[in-house]
Amino acid sequence: MGTDSSKAADLLQGTLELLILRTLAPGEKHGYEIAEWIHVASATTLSVEEGALYPALHRLELRGLLTAAWDVSANNRRAKYYRLTASGRKRLKETTDAWRRTSTAINRVLEAI
Amino acid sequence: MAEWFNSLRLRLRALVRRDRQEQDVQDEIAFHLAMREAQLRQSGAADASADARRRFGGASQIRDELRDAWAVVPRLSSLLHDFRHAVRALWRSGTFAVVVVLTLGFGIGANTAVFSIVNAVLIRPLGFAHADRLLVLHEGVPAAGIDRVPFSAADLRDVEREVRSLDGVGAFRTMSFELSGSGGEPERIQSAKVTASLFPLLGVESALGRLFSASEDRPGSDLALISWALWQRRYAGNPSMIGQSILLDRRPYTVIGVMPASFEFPRRGLRFNSEPGDVWIPMAFTAGELARRGSGFTNSVIARLKEGATLPEAQSELDVLAPRLQAQYPAWALRNRNAQLMLFASPLREEMVGSVETPLLMLLGAIGLVLLVACANVANLLLSRAATRQHEIGIRAALGATRLRLLQLQLSEALLLTVAGAVLGVLVARLALNAVPAVVVERVPGLHDVPIDLRVLAFTAGLSIVTAVLFAMVPFLASEGSASFEVLHESAARTTAGLRRHRIQSALVVSTVALSFVLLVAAGLFLRSFSALLANDRGFRPSGVLTVSVALPTQAYATTARVRGFHDSLLGRVRMLSGVRSAALTTDLPLEGSTVAVFFPEGADTGGVAPPTRRSWVHGAYFRTLGISLRRGRPFTDDELAENREVAIVNEKLASRYWPGQGPIGKRLKFGPPESNIPWLTIVGVVSDAVDGPEALATMGDDRPVHVYEPFRQIPDFVLANAGSPGRDLTLAVLAQGDPTLLARSVRRELASLDAQLAVASIATMEDKLNDVLAPQRFSTALLTTFAGGALLLVSIGLYGLLAFVVAQRKREIGVRLALGAEPRAVVRLMLALGGKLVGAGLAAGFVAALGTTRFMSSFLHETGSYDPVTFIVVPVVLAGVALLACGLPARRASRIDPLVALRSE
Repeated sequence: MGTDSSKAADLLQGTLELLILRTLAPGEKHGYEIAEWIHVASATTLSVEEGALYPALHRLELRGLLTAAWDVSANNRRAKYYRLTASGRKRLKETTDAWRRTSTAINRVLEAI
Repeated sequence: MAEWFNSLRLRLRALVRRDRQEQDVQDEIAFHLAMREAQLRQSGAADASADARRRFGGASQIRDELRDAWAVVPRLSSLLHDFRHAVRALWRSGTFAVVVVLTLGFGIGANTAVFSIVNAVLIRPLGFAHADRLLVLHEGVPAAGIDRVPFSAADLRDVEREVRSLDGVGAFRTMSFELSGSGGEPERIQSAKVTASLFPLLGVESALGRLFSASEDRPGSDLALISWALWQRRYAGNPSMIGQSILLDRRPYTVIGVMPASFEFPRRGLRFNSEPGDVWIPMAFTAGELARRGSGFTNSVIARLKEGATLPEAQSELDVLAPRLQAQYPAWALRNRNAQLMLFASPLREEMVGSVETPLLMLLGAIGLVLLVACANVANLLLSRAATRQHEIGIRAALGATRLRLLQLQLSEALLLTVAGAVLGVLVARLALNAVPAVVVERVPGLHDVPIDLRVLAFTAGLSIVTAVLFAMVPFLASEGSASFEVLHESAARTTAGLRRHRIQSALVVSTVALSFVLLVAAGLFLRSFSALLANDRGFRPSGVLTVSVALPTQAYATTARVRGFHDSLLGRVRMLSGVRSAALTTDLPLEGSTVAVFFPEGADTGGVAPPTRRSWVHGAYFRTLGISLRRGRPFTDDELAENREVAIVNEKLASRYWPGQGPIGKRLKFGPPESNIPWLTIVGVVSDAVDGPEALATMGDDRPVHVYEPFRQIPDFVLANAGSPGRDLTLAVLAQGDPTLLARSVRRELASLDAQLAVASIATMEDKLNDVLAPQRFSTALLTTFAGGALLLVSIGLYGLLAFVVAQRKREIGVRLALGAEPRAVVRLMLALGGKLVGAGLAAGFVAALGTTRFMSSFLHETGSYDPVTFIVVPVVLAGVALLACGLPARRASRIDPLVALRSE
């Protein structure tokens, strides 16, 4: 299984789906915007290769949590925009709640020691 | 469900508009790169384009991944990716992979070996044309205890003429010859007399030269066909052998053909005349043979059903014919009307492999059990590994890998392991097949050539796939319902998924214990049966006896006086050798099976039927040499050995069956009708029941046949005049003072000084002969014991693995217990109890399963019940003992856990 630090990175990567859903909560975005948003929001913690984002996006699309549509971007280029579906929203709420519960539990433990 | 349907709809749409989909992916990536490049250029990067690509990662790899994600069916590229992943993952976990591959290699290898034997013996075609229409015919008088015998020439001729549903009948009988003349030293070879109709009936052609024609199948036709092997070995494959003459028993025969290399005839496994020959000569029935009814039952018959005719049709025709044949028998041959002559037809294939079919299939079943144990073990190892890999699987699930994709990943790992196991298995099988002892190969038809052919490889491949699916499905099912988020929790091992996995692992261990219980019981029963066979009273002493067989050709020993002279000189010379305690000549050794003849015991009630008996002739101190003990009366005197005094010695069985409660000494018996002028023989002694014939070794006391011994001098001259008659084919038995093999050289020298040209047919100690006879039982016992031992080893590895895993998982709990002051011994007890519970359940299940299985073995067991209490007590004790050992190690390790380290680690 690798070292402790890689474990932490794995854990963060495992939440990529949650982060994408969260990013799209305010409204539709294209892939580059999502990458930027995650990059900025998490400061430098996430060192994901940007390309890795797309398979995750497409799988979420295939699972019906996102829908995608082609549109013209701000700089007049063709871009693929992703938007949350109803089930995507539901999933975001569920996973956020689960995540909060877990982190609360972890925090409690951490404070107790 | 709706989610799955939606995804399928999207995938199908992408499939229909494939170009559009490709373009979209290209555009999406290009857009991202362009945006990033612009942003980097703005912030003053030197090479913005390269930086953008670097930050993006492998674009082509991402494209592949996207393509896979959209594929309706998993693509090759994703399979390849999975295999690469599997190779890397397995490489990292070296020991795990090695243990799994070895386990599978053993399981698959043993199955491949056994199946290739089944293939060679039971499945492979006989190699004859229209083999499904070939029948073997026998005669028999079941009411008189004569089950099945070959045909007499006269009866055969009638079958050939009268039975309409047969379109061909051929006959053969084996004999041995002294082969001399060109090509080297004289040697004894096996040969068969065959009718001209036989080889065409089997659909075989000669490789060189030609076969016999019908007109050449007449007395006085000195033609011979030789085998490819003999042609190569003795005549260096010289094509000019055709037309040359060879000497058989010092008489010239002209070689007219060489048979193909693949041709083996007669085939092993036939009930009679089953020794493959190197030379074939015409059957050439004499007018006398064709006229004689009720004797000369020596010709094996193969017949072919007419196209469209059935076996029952042929059988009913034979049933009609039999009484008509019997009506022509002389009065003495069948005196009782109730003792009806019968003719039997059975498929050739059944005759050849019928006796080995059940044992082989049983072996295949046993080895299948071993593979199941191996599978369960590997599944268990995978489960333990899955537990430690949960994190990786969790991340994959979190990143959106579907359950199907995860299964595919696990299957590819399983397949990789199995393919490695299968390759190892084929090598193991090859080695295992080489280890089959030669004497066993000789007994079983088809076993001399066991190829690992396409059918075997297909079997192995199929087996491997089933194996891989079996052990890959178990961990997959165990992981069912474990949501991706759940497994990301560090405490995953103690979640419901963990419990479920633990239950499945326990069930696997219980079933391996149960399966090996069955195998151990089977092996135990075979061992018990085999030791009973070894302890069997054989009625003779095999130790210290050297035997040498020779045959006297009619050419050099033209008169019976010369034959008898040879008997006396040989015995006289050998008796004088130093190191010889006693010597004797005999027509049949114990174990080898004697002539069967019908006789009349004077004054005994035989129900009007002439009962059959074994009949042997002996010369010299036979009973002393072979250690056959004298129960009553006396052995033959020197006078009786020198002159025909019309005496006989019988075995106890004969005496007690026909003269129960009376003194058998002085009673008389006759080999012929009571009113005939054939002399009555007076019984002078009674000896112990020595086993007669290899099959008789397995029969005890009551099943032993009755036996009559006479001095050599009483072999009639008209019998001794024929080639291959008892007295011409003879065996010298020598009881040595020390090691009997040391006498071989001096005995050979005496033989050579009597007749330099005489070929020795065989030279072997009695103990070797006994071992050869026991070889099949010894082999199957050794095989089953190996299987069971392998299963036992697998079970202990499985138990050890599971407990070690449990200890690792519960390290913290154990640490806490120890920290709170638990005795280390209590921890050991805790762990042992855990293992003990599983073993106990396995033993109980195995006990029930074994009780249900062993009754199928009863026909192979000698003096051992299929519910043999000793086996059923010893097996659980052994199994429990081994299990205790396997659990003991991890249990001890648990008790030595350092509480501080254990608590700190989580």
